[in-house]
Amino acid sequence: MTKITFDSVQTGQELAPFTKKVNQEIFWKYAVASFDYNPVHNDPEWVKTAQPFKVPYTVAHGMMTMSFMTSVVTNWAYPNMLRIRKITSKFTLPVAPGWTVKCTGVISEKHVISKGKNYVVVDLKAENQEGALLGVGEIEVVFPD
Amino acid sequence: MNRINFERFFKTEKQKQFSTDFFKNAGEYETWDEINFSTDKEFDGEQTFTIKAEDMKAYAEGVLDDHALMNDEKYAQKSPYGSLVPHPIFITQIAFWCIGTKGQGNWIRTPGARNPGQDFEFYEPFRVGETIHIKMRPYDRYIKRGKYYLKYKIDFYSQKEVKKATWILTLILPRTKADIKKFVEGVRGLDA
Repeated sequence: MTKITFDSVQTGQELAPFTKKVNQEIFWKYAVASFDYNPVHNDPEWVKTAQPFKVPYTVAHGMMTMSFMTSVVTNWAYPNMLRIRKITSKFTLPVAPGWTVKCTGVISEKHVISKGKNYVVVDLKAENQEGALLGVGEIEVVFPD
Repeated sequence: MNRINFERFFKTEKQKQFSTDFFKNAGEYETWDEINFSTDKEFDGEQTFTIKAEDMKAYAEGVLDDHALMNDEKYAQKSPYGSLVPHPIFITQIAFWCIGTKGQGNWIRTPGARNPGQDFEFYEPFRVGETIHIKMRPYDRYIKRGKYYLKYKIDFYSQKEVKKATWILTLILPRTKADIKKFVEGVRGLDA
């Protein structure tokens, strides 16, 4: 694998997507992994009437969608010893069981500062199997070189 | 009440100890209209989080990320990192654990809370063997399109007081205890 350097990356460069199909079993596993046991993600009976998101079914944890988006960057950055410094996200549509979440990332900014402080911004988005926007994010990645 | 059997998924010691029932004691959770913004005083989490490899691996597994740096200790030891590298959003597990159930910040457990988006900054990587503690303070509270937003600033420190990360935690919450009670009873407790 060719080592990624700051000089070698360009704005507009697309990172490899991270795509997962989710279901209630995966929501439960994520609850256990994150300690977020909010019933809106976990209790199909409760949510039929409580409907925090105005829908009668459970929805995925936003942090799971955010994690999927972040994995687009970690899969690229971690093997190259690049450091994730900042992550922001906004969620636009709750994710229903049975949906496929496709996360993509594009290098949108290249900040030329100095060795060890140079960084890029990766714009992220998550979409479902029909192309509906589920969330967006930005991640700053610092280069050691 | 908790209708779901989560135990079949437990793999770590912390998972076996953590309170999975967010309905229990929900009447004691802090509410949007109760948060005291009159002081900048920070407060500590209920407990500390000593990071084990099993914790990091459980998070990576939970987000379906099979990267060897996050999941394979032997592979990670031979890598330039020298040990497992956590998924960045592993910080969620640390936060829920440290906040706990009875102390300030327990509004993170509110049934019916919604997540509009989050912000993190990372200064130093989390490492296996470190014991993390948090300091929190109210950061912002506002109403937007009829929804009640609450933000806390949570700073994460190692046992050596090295600041590891900051999370600006944001949720849309039921406004009052009466609204939470509605959610506990299975009735929608939000206007918007």
